[in-house]
Amino acid sequence: MSSKTHNANSILLARRTVLQLRTEASRERMKVSKASADLMNYCTEHAMADPLLVGFPTSDNPFKDKKPCTIL
Amino acid sequence: MYWICSKSMATQELQINESLAHLKTESESLKTKLEEERAKLHDVELHQVAEKVEGLGQFVMKTRRTLKGHGNKVLCMDWCKDKRRIVSSSQDGKVIVWDAFTTNKEHAVTMPCTWVMACAYAPSGCAVACGGLDNKCSVYPLSLDKNENLAAKKKSVAMHTNYLSACSFTNSDMQILTSSGDGTCALWDVESGQLLQSFHGHAADVLCLDLAPSETGNTFVSGGCDKKANVWDMRSGQCIQSFETHESDINSVRYYPSGDAFASGSDDATCRLYDLRADREVAIYSKESIIFGVSSVDFSLSGRLLFGGYNDYTINVWDVLKGTRVSILFGHENRVSTLRVSPDGTAFCTGSWDHTLRVSSSFSFSLFSVISLSPEVLLTHCVFFFFFFLQIWA
Repeated sequence: MSSKTHNANSILLARRTVLQLRTEASRERMKVSKASADLMNYCTEHAMADPLLVGFPTSDNPFKDKKPCTIL
Repeated sequence: MYWICSKSMATQELQINESLAHLKTESESLKTKLEEERAKLHDVELHQVAEKVEGLGQFVMKTRRTLKGHGNKVLCMDWCKDKRRIVSSSQDGKVIVWDAFTTNKEHAVTMPCTWVMACAYAPSGCAVACGGLDNKCSVYPLSLDKNENLAAKKKSVAMHTNYLSACSFTNSDMQILTSSGDGTCALWDVESGQLLQSFHGHAADVLCLDLAPSETGNTFVSGGCDKKANVWDMRSGQCIQSFETHESDINSVRYYPSGDAFASGSDDATCRLYDLRADREVAIYSKESIIFGVSSVDFSLSGRLLFGGYNDYTINVWDVLKGTRVSILFGHENRVSTLRVSPDGTAFCTGSWDHTLRVSSSFSFSLFSVISLSPEVLLTHCVFFFFFFLQIWA
């Protein structure tokens, strides 16, 4: 009896794997060159707006260290 | 009679074995076909395409704030959408909400269990979710009244059969996505605690998850101890894509800002970038000198920088396109367990087993950034310095 359920489970699992692989194999894929170009374009388009990349004026930095200011 | 029964059972068993073998052969041939399809489109490497992009030069990162208060290892942290509040959870069972600008503690909750491995801030900023060894994910509404006991309003939302490894609110305060050591991920309704969808497919503990940026639809990626990173459809519960190139547990996954790719960090000491449309790994971020596992990864706002927190107490910053390391940050006195970039991209926060959290940001401008300053800003700087020096000479 237990071997029957074990067999049924193995079949179910195998069937599920095959269905999963079938869907994955039939997917539309893009060439790496095109996908990489898109990633690159995204980076360059948004580079200016990236504070960790280009930095920003210390006055706008909410985490700046508080320094005492001297008046000349 | 008995002979007939046993004969039918034997034929049944034979049929079952045949169909099992048949299914196994089909799955093997499908796997080979999948590999062939993926390899066909592998015409170039990402760093080759990125040769035309300007290099970044070396960055210096500086720690701006150190948040002290946890009594034991910090395991997880998350930023609030207001870009200044942080929630962190620790092995000592405490969950603390900090104001990162002032380093003040705003709220503290003691969980009934130790090892609170997951915590998340609600999009509204009005609640936090956390969980760990209690196998549950609980939501605590944050009240403005400091004296109110937060634990009294606690709402138990998720129930797993093993530890909670990660949790995240979806676009609203109403739904939570969780991943667990029981090998599954699940989507829950916060108000009723009802299970909305469960995600089965990992063969071992699921350690991390990340939701796709809202523009790209209802998917999320999860990483686990089975070395696989799976992309799921939240509505159907189906696994859409699966990637298995890491050589050890995947501790952290994070979507690229455009949603077309995701990065992963693993115990095999590498970070990898997987492109969803090319359906393959497109970059590996590693060095021979780096032998300790990566505990957490996150991208900067533009996706050009990848931050990785490592078990050798350091944070390595990688140029995503070129695959080179542009910065290394020291400071923690034990392994870095969690890392997140702030919502506006101005800083990143790291939590460590040394009981502290550190908020850091870029310190110096690289050549790239000086050139990128707008002409008006450059002109004003020149004029200022001109008059400044004029005054000295006069």
